[in-house]
Amino acid sequence: MKAKVVMLGVLALAATLAVTGCAKKNNVIKIGALFNQTGDQSSLDVPGLNGFKLAADEINKAGGLLGKKLEIVAIDGKTDQTQCTNAASKMIDVDKVVAIGGLSDSNYALAAGAIAQAKGVPFVTSGATLPTLPDQVGDAFFLEPFGDNIQAYAGAEFAAKDLKAKTAYILTDKAMDYTITLSKYFKERFTKINGDKSVLLEDTYQTDDVDFSAQIGRLKNLKVQPDVLYVASDPSKCGVIVKQLRALKVKQPVIGGDGYDTPLLVSLGGDAANTGVYFSTHASLTNPADKVQNFVKAYNAAYKTAPENAFAALGYDTMYLIANAIKAGNSDKSADIKAALAKTDGLEGVTGKVSYKNGSRVPTKSVTILTVKDGKFDFVKEVLPE
Amino acid sequence: MPRKPSATTLRGIGGVAVLAAALFVMNLTLPDYYLRIVNLIGINIILVASLNLTNGFTGIFSLGHAGFMAVGAYTSALLTIAPAQKALALPQLPLWLAGISLPFPAALVAAGLLASFAALLIGFPVLRLRGHYLAVATMGFLVIIRVVLTNAESFTRGARGISGLPVFTNSWWVFGIAVLTLYLLRKLVTSAYGRGMIAIRENTVAAEALGIPIARYRLIAFCTGAFFAGVGGALLGHLMSVISPNFFSYSQTFLLVEISIIGGCGSLTGAVVGSLIMTLLPEILRNFEGGGELFGIALPPMYGLSQIILASLLIVIIIFRPQGIMGTKEFSWSMFGKKRELKKG
Repeated sequence: MKAKVVMLGVLALAATLAVTGCAKKNNVIKIGALFNQTGDQSSLDVPGLNGFKLAADEINKAGGLLGKKLEIVAIDGKTDQTQCTNAASKMIDVDKVVAIGGLSDSNYALAAGAIAQAKGVPFVTSGATLPTLPDQVGDAFFLEPFGDNIQAYAGAEFAAKDLKAKTAYILTDKAMDYTITLSKYFKERFTKINGDKSVLLEDTYQTDDVDFSAQIGRLKNLKVQPDVLYVASDPSKCGVIVKQLRALKVKQPVIGGDGYDTPLLVSLGGDAANTGVYFSTHASLTNPADKVQNFVKAYNAAYKTAPENAFAALGYDTMYLIANAIKAGNSDKSADIKAALAKTDGLEGVTGKVSYKNGSRVPTKSVTILTVKDGKFDFVKEVLPE
Repeated sequence: MPRKPSATTLRGIGGVAVLAAALFVMNLTLPDYYLRIVNLIGINIILVASLNLTNGFTGIFSLGHAGFMAVGAYTSALLTIAPAQKALALPQLPLWLAGISLPFPAALVAAGLLASFAALLIGFPVLRLRGHYLAVATMGFLVIIRVVLTNAESFTRGARGISGLPVFTNSWWVFGIAVLTLYLLRKLVTSAYGRGMIAIRENTVAAEALGIPIARYRLIAFCTGAFFAGVGGALLGHLMSVISPNFFSYSQTFLLVEISIIGGCGSLTGAVVGSLIMTLLPEILRNFEGGGELFGIALPPMYGLSQIILASLLIVIIIFRPQGIMGTKEFSWSMFGKKRELKKG
């Protein structure tokens, strides 16, 4: 009975198809850029897309690849799994991209990666750091950044060796794979260095929580106070948690992962962010190396602002990683790009060298530790975890 | 008493035949992306029609629909994934579940039944509440489901989600079930039970005075709605091939409520109209978000455009047509009488 209405809709859909149908061009190589431009993830993904586009512009100015220009097809994932999969599907089926880069969170990368995998289109995530992701999705899925295990190890080694911490407290966002993985590997390395009883308390919260007084209360009730606090949180909560910790007079250093590498840490955390907050991330934009400073300059020129965080650099490196594979395989076919990506060896980028060794699609890269000084991110040191 | 099929029945069969023909053509000609959108429309129809049964027809304002979807999706995932794959991804499953691999239809029925069972458990205490108390309580159910999914790691892999669900969902399954859902719900709401449900919505006290067993009717509506939500959730899972607790969040619930309000929550046709608009519109607007050229004019990227337009649409509809596009009206052939004549002429 309602079939007629359905039919009308189908007609409407058919009409839109006719309007939006894409003309195919042969002198360009289309690359998909799937970033969450709106929603919770946007503070990481907007800089990510900027970096990605900047790299494509540079490549085009230098003459393009294989005699063709790159064309970026950017679609907003809207920080929603269904939307991310629709976007990935559209890029591949309608826009005919040969490779996709983007996304900074494993939840979304997992969903979108499955679509690309089914079509054999290589997907390079610019910011998702879950080390098991490539195995879970398949052979067309690559990580540009280091895995979470590596950065959590770096955090633990930094706490134990540089901050001379003997005991730790761990707070984890229980609703995210990212944060759960960070805490797991931090604990593994920290207890390996300081002994089984060195983690005094492990507590959890949910991403949607806004009040952390219960958790902080339990922390303050500990008879022996820990030397450091490892707080595994996403970009939207790190500033809030730091602020509430300091407001309740908890003064120990706070250590976190690359989720802290967002302007939100300072804008939400306020002055509290300046009081001993350290985090592991992909690159320091104050690093004097040419590669980094040239990137910062180019970004400034293109967007009239300094790169907001390391995700801009990761987006930039991701585009170059894909471009390098197109060049190395001398082909713009998805299957060839995939094969060439897997052979990437020692590709220098702003965020370090990328090599995929022993069939792994997670690169081994050094980890940068940053802190906040006067409201700005400041380089502390680079760690290559054992 | 055997009698000739009525004109409405014949038209209904004709409509289904036309739909089937359209799906057949689309499956042959459309790229996967468009088929995916068509399938999402169908899944949304199933989800919103079942939400309308509780929220619209019976007046139980439930915000727990995504929770039932989750129950369905996880049930179907655990029942269909091949044992070899389970051994790798879910090594801690109990033996009876690890070795099982059901065909899709059986898994869908199981998904619906388990969602219904969850509705039964939650319905007993919660359905005594009214209005916003009920809404908040059903939201509590959604929270519980998500916490359970996140913590029952040996069954669900927690926040990491389960990937590699077999991609069974296609337009035949989706629209077959959508048509069946609409048909069954239509039968239900036009039956004595359905009249009773509407009476409860309109005036609970009067309905009770007329001898309608309020609690039982509400529970029937709630469980039936949950059944189709479970089936819809399973279809979605097998379309995505990946599910995680984050899929079934408040935003999923609110999306369904939004579709229901825009389409008209007291109408099954409203569910269809709302699903069409709310699934297609963001995808059409997507084309303009990335910037680029339109008829020779360079456009800047306008990310967030579709959310703003959809939210504005919701506000406009609430102000000018608070009952939604269809209100409580249903589709009938007479609505299209003139158009049909035009087509013939």
